[in-house]
Amino acid sequence: MTDYGQLIAYLGIGFALGIAALVVPSLIAPRYKGAETEKTYECGVDTVGSAWIRFGISFYLFALIFVAFEVDILYLFPVALVFNEEMFGWRAFVEVFIFLLILSLAIVYAWRKGVIRWTR
Amino acid sequence: MPRTLLDIFGNPFIATGVGIGAVMTVLSINVLFCIWFERKVSAWIQRRLGPMEVGPQGTLQTVADMVKLLGKQLLTPAGIDKPLYHLAPLIIFAPVVASASLLPFSKSVALSDLNIGLILVFMFGGFAVVGIFMAGWGSNNKYALLGAMRSVAQNISYEVPLLLSALSVVLMVGAQGGGQIEIGDEVIQLNGLNLSHITLAQTSGLWFIVFQPIAAVIFFIAILAETNRAPFDLPEAESELIAGFHTEYSGMRFGLFFFGEYSNMFIGAMLATVLFLGGWDGPLLPGPVWFFFKSYLLIFVMMWVRWTFPRLRFDQLMAFCWAVLTPLAIVNILVTAFALKVVNG
Repeated sequence: MTDYGQLIAYLGIGFALGIAALVVPSLIAPRYKGAETEKTYECGVDTVGSAWIRFGISFYLFALIFVAFEVDILYLFPVALVFNEEMFGWRAFVEVFIFLLILSLAIVYAWRKGVIRWTR
Repeated sequence: MPRTLLDIFGNPFIATGVGIGAVMTVLSINVLFCIWFERKVSAWIQRRLGPMEVGPQGTLQTVADMVKLLGKQLLTPAGIDKPLYHLAPLIIFAPVVASASLLPFSKSVALSDLNIGLILVFMFGGFAVVGIFMAGWGSNNKYALLGAMRSVAQNISYEVPLLLSALSVVLMVGAQGGGQIEIGDEVIQLNGLNLSHITLAQTSGLWFIVFQPIAAVIFFIAILAETNRAPFDLPEAESELIAGFHTEYSGMRFGLFFFGEYSNMFIGAMLATVLFLGGWDGPLLPGPVWFFFKSYLLIFVMMWVRWTFPRLRFDQLMAFCWAVLTPLAIVNILVTAFALKVVNG
């Protein structure tokens, strides 16, 4: 089992401990069930309809910009690792500059479209 | 270089057992302490006494609360999406354990020493977003859904300046001492994504907060937003959304969310310590003391901020991220890259 195997073991044991923490109350806690126990909590008002309805589109637009950025930042991490090696010299800086310039256009575009200022 | 538990014990099963024991002990003590500490800090700021009844100065209050939570009935509302609802607390809780094991707290011992530690910590941090959305969507409650939507939008947005400010540190690491460092008779090739190498790069010179003050501030603000702390606590804004995404969770399920939240805060503070404050580096006292002292100092600042600043409006929050922090972080990377090329020729 390598270091990565250990990490997966930690994750698995984390799940097991979480389940254990939920099993204990179900053994010792009271089990009351009345007419209102299972109602959705909405400050005492009866629930109207489901919560799974149409939602503001602005959230979706943020998700789109995020995908564009996050994937590009992942490419930048390997670049940052070898950035200081002498064989690359100033070429490395120029390439990072061009890359970030194109990336910034995503913000400029979203800004012009009014996504960031939350106009609808 | 820190020796890992695997090097010390040889047997991977013993190493994992000891590691998980250590991580759970530290995380549990941290959560118990932080909740008490937060209540005391808020009381101090508002000129109250805070918890005083259970134990000296109310120190055992959180233990009493935990016992109470264990004895509470787990209410399951009708009309939920069952798999999502039941899995959500676990998805938030489990990655915290793995993530905490990655951080290098001492010069001599570490739980694990991975070459992509930084990326892995961010990856496990990303799990929280999935868990929050599962909780909010699965509850079939309008407040929970609103809270979850806000939380996801906020978390993914602030992830961008968070990663960009960490990136400028990764750039710096490879340039320290020509990318190599000597410890005793060993020469180590510095790797910018290995958390103990990031600390080592700072022990030989100045801490990165001196070279990267802007990145440090951006990182700290982004950590506040990622952990849903005030002034960025819109997902759980109690005055408008009851409790946000965990409105429908009671008893120990709520306890797991709380555990995850305070542990994430702790991991965020530890990561900021490693990246900008030199990790275990410090005079006189042993490394782990310095490491945890710096982390808790950052946690104190987080609490101070929470009880000082009012909550932002949601559009202000998103505009602040995309129109201020992200462009600033990009410019910071460019300046860093330029300066490194000028200095190193």
